[in-house]
Amino acid sequence: MNDLKLLRWSAVALLLVTGMIDLYYGNSFAGFYENLWYVMGGIYIFAALVIASNIEPHFSQLTVFAYTLFLWSVWATVALETGTGLDAVAYADKAIEAILAVNMVLLFRNSRAGLIV
Amino acid sequence: MSGSGFRKLSSAKLLVAAALIAIFSGAVVGLSVGYVVHYSAPATRIFYLFDGTVPFDESMFYGHPHDTFVPDTITVDKGDHVVIHYVNIEDIGEAHTYTMDPPYTFDATVYGNATQQGVVGTYPNVGNVVLSQGQNATITFTASWAGTFRYYCAYHQPTMTGYLVVIG
Repeated sequence: MNDLKLLRWSAVALLLVTGMIDLYYGNSFAGFYENLWYVMGGIYIFAALVIASNIEPHFSQLTVFAYTLFLWSVWATVALETGTGLDAVAYADKAIEAILAVNMVLLFRNSRAGLIV
Repeated sequence: MSGSGFRKLSSAKLLVAAALIAIFSGAVVGLSVGYVVHYSAPATRIFYLFDGTVPFDESMFYGHPHDTFVPDTITVDKGDHVVIHYVNIEDIGEAHTYTMDPPYTFDATVYGNATQQGVVGTYPNVGNVVLSQGQNATITFTASWAGTFRYYCAYHQPTMTGYLVVIG
């Protein structure tokens, strides 16, 4: 149970950090793509609140995990195609997102342990 | 979420399914953004700007000055950080300005000429800067507004005019 709590709160912390970086990125760079980072950051902060509240934990944890990979995939393909988002802030953001994805896997597996009949 | 299918599936299967859907849909969205928007990342664009002359007798053409800007068009993308090194290369004692109308303002650092070395002055957030013969200035701003904007010498109108084209 303590592991579960630790994983949940570390996920909340990572979500908040990533959300804040995304908001910073959206604020620091002008342009259509960078402005989308505002939305991404807002959703991360909302997700942090949902995970912290433990509302429908299995569904929300899986959704946040998928959202993290979705944004990673968007970033990687846009970066490959246009060269956008290849800077230190984006690298830091994506590194934290990768840790967050692993965190969400562990959280999801732990919270569902014993659920399967 | 009812206790039906979601509960029966193993965590590993759910995670793999979610990961595959997320990565695939993310790649589709990312490729679409890159393809449709034709986006390029904001960058620092450096230009060298000079005063020039067209070889005609100023008194013969309604008193219009023969001064121009070289180049007379600067094209950047919206969001770019623009750096203009502006040099007054007059061979006579004639001053020129670099002037922009709102919404654009710029930061300028003016450097001296042969008789006045070093930094002559720094001017943050201004719309006009004057260069005496032989002086040069570093002008910086961010191209935050898309469109076509005039830059001009306030002393030599209408000929000494250029256009900043910001592609949004």
